[in-house]
Amino acid sequence: MFKKLVLLGLSLTVIFMLAACGGNNGNNGSASNPPDSGSSGSASPDSGSSNEKVTLKIIHWINEPVNKYYEEFNKKFTEKYPNIKVDYVTVPSDATYDQLQQTRINANDADLVALKSGFAPIPQEWAKGAEAPVWKQWIDAGLIMDLSGQDFVKNYNATDVENSTTYNGKVYGINMGKVSFTGLFYNKKIFADNGLQVPKTWDEFTKVVDTLKSKGIAPLGFAGKDIWPFNLAVQGLSATVHKDQAAFIKGLWDGSTKFTDPAQIEILSKAQYLLQNAIDGTMGVDYASLPSLFISGKVAMIADGTWNAPTIKSGDPSLEFGYFPIPGSNDAAQNASLAGKYDMSWMVLEKAKNKDAALKWLAMQSEPDHYAEFVKASGFLPNADVQIEDPFVNELKPYLQSFKLAWDQLFINRPNAGEHVSGSSVHAEFLAPAGPIKTPDELAALSQKEWDAAAPK
Amino acid sequence: MYPFGRGIARHLPLALLMIPLLLYVVFAFGPSMATVFFSFTDATGIPGVRWHFVGFDNYRKLLFSSDQAERLRSIRNSLEFAFLVVVIQNAIGLFMAVLLNRKLKGDAFYRATFFLPVVLGVTVSGLVWRMMLNPMSGPMGELFKMFGTRSNFLSSYDAAFYWIIFVQIWMYMGYSMTIFIAGLQSIPRDLYDSGHIDGASGWKAFRYITFPMIAPAVTVNTLLSIIGALQTFDIIYVLTNGGFNTRTLALDVYRDAIANNTTADYGLASAGAMVLFLFVFVFTVVFMYLLRRREVDL
Repeated sequence: MFKKLVLLGLSLTVIFMLAACGGNNGNNGSASNPPDSGSSGSASPDSGSSNEKVTLKIIHWINEPVNKYYEEFNKKFTEKYPNIKVDYVTVPSDATYDQLQQTRINANDADLVALKSGFAPIPQEWAKGAEAPVWKQWIDAGLIMDLSGQDFVKNYNATDVENSTTYNGKVYGINMGKVSFTGLFYNKKIFADNGLQVPKTWDEFTKVVDTLKSKGIAPLGFAGKDIWPFNLAVQGLSATVHKDQAAFIKGLWDGSTKFTDPAQIEILSKAQYLLQNAIDGTMGVDYASLPSLFISGKVAMIADGTWNAPTIKSGDPSLEFGYFPIPGSNDAAQNASLAGKYDMSWMVLEKAKNKDAALKWLAMQSEPDHYAEFVKASGFLPNADVQIEDPFVNELKPYLQSFKLAWDQLFINRPNAGEHVSGSSVHAEFLAPAGPIKTPDELAALSQKEWDAAAPK
Repeated sequence: MYPFGRGIARHLPLALLMIPLLLYVVFAFGPSMATVFFSFTDATGIPGVRWHFVGFDNYRKLLFSSDQAERLRSIRNSLEFAFLVVVIQNAIGLFMAVLLNRKLKGDAFYRATFFLPVVLGVTVSGLVWRMMLNPMSGPMGELFKMFGTRSNFLSSYDAAFYWIIFVQIWMYMGYSMTIFIAGLQSIPRDLYDSGHIDGASGWKAFRYITFPMIAPAVTVNTLLSIIGALQTFDIIYVLTNGGFNTRTLALDVYRDAIANNTTADYGLASAGAMVLFLFVFVFTVVFMYLLRRREVDL
């Protein structure tokens, strides 16, 4: 009797727990009936499911202007589709989002997932042994829906779709636009008050820095605490010192170029110059505080991406500021364009419970009016021919005649590379006065040593 | 006489105990065993991606791959972190406990104040100290300036790690102190009276009466702080996210499993977790053996 009771108790407990853990794995867990995806064509407003109430789950990271835009957009979407409730979740953009993204995709507990960029770096034949990017693993595992047949894809420039979210000839996401991050925001008033022009060469740039210093104004500010924002400036130097970054990176893999080459030493030397001329304590500034440092007028220039223009603007609408490419070389023509990346992309999960709702949401987002509003809110450079009346974006146009990808979008790393060459590989933050390494030559030699050590055996 | 009666009532307590046991097996013991298992695989956690047994590859990668300098530094940092935290936190905790165990005016207020950081939690404490240690606008920066010096604090390759240790001790000193106070309050007053007759007062009374009598509290505090310090990752994540030479083994486990830009490597993270477990296990057993030998009974 006792044994039977214990067995019964155990069985009930196990059943209870399995039921609690199992969730809705099947396609019948949700109220919606997703249409046959992939080749189903457009997501017309009245296609697919009936008026059953469904909840569209979207995950995104915190970016205040963009989040505000989406909150408004989601209201309009719900007005148009009253049966679809939008659950729009945002978390900090650091590893918190990576964690959320990973767990939600693994648990199939989202319909629309934001990817932090376009599909980059693209895996290359010559990079043998490189780890596959996570988006490629998701696609290869069949977790991401093929959007190739959807009508709304045609709303975007074919070249941008091809370069941002196309893999193996299929479109697996909707990229929302490009951003540039190889320039510096500058305070127009400080420049005007001191008779300064936007520098077009490295020599002109150092003169600007010297003039500002002589007037007691801190020339530069970086969000050194988070490291990566400083490396945006270093990527600016790289984009203007190297004639062809992609060829240099390929050369690193086959040994024809090295981290100790003169071009790399020049980049590191100039990066050290930036650190030496930054405001005191710049290594303690975190990324969230950088706009306020700039808005307060404590520094004349900051290194940041164009995506932060709306934040600066909202911080002080009267502040006059502009953006120019870091002139890493003395060749004005080489310095004349900005580099960057394809920013956020939306992906629909292949096993999403509300695929139909997700497609409707993307279709509505892709309508020219809504997309134009998004571009205005985000500060992105559009992937579609929409008219944006934004003085900041218009001012950037001359620098965007030939948009090029930045170093970290092209660089493919070797697995287990040491810390001086890990991630996107150039780590000028190790240089004095920020870090413990005194000279660019020492850092370059260390980087090459670690790169060689990580070579596939 | 057996207190639970006969029949079903007799076996009911055991049956009810099976429920927490099962919960423990499913949610704690099971996942722990799964970690051992995964440490020998190349699992990524991505649904639909096949994984394979890779033998000791993950352990080799952890200790002997091309980034071994950083990996070994993480292990060294973990050990240094644990050593400094255990010694300093308990020394200060004991000192404060002895002070506050006397009949001071407002002792309850002081106890509550010193215990407050424990209640605040890691995120709040971390944010408070990020502001305090901001080199441009934080009070610490201003204090350093008064002495004619400056530091990047949490962005300094030399100092960031020790500032994290400082914050960790600040957060949990109150916890150690409370356990010591409980130990101190359990010492009978007449032991001190007898000692006083034998000439033991001041330091001698502490050395020969107080300290031996609070040995169980020392054991508990030491073991808890060893385990806590070796497993610390949250405060490091909040303060530096592992930058500026502040990576530890526990933080590496998290980064390998989740916060990796390219892919999640559950196998490598599991191997890291196993190495971490080994450290915790060995130190706990050794210190438990050493400290329990010192404990005295009344």
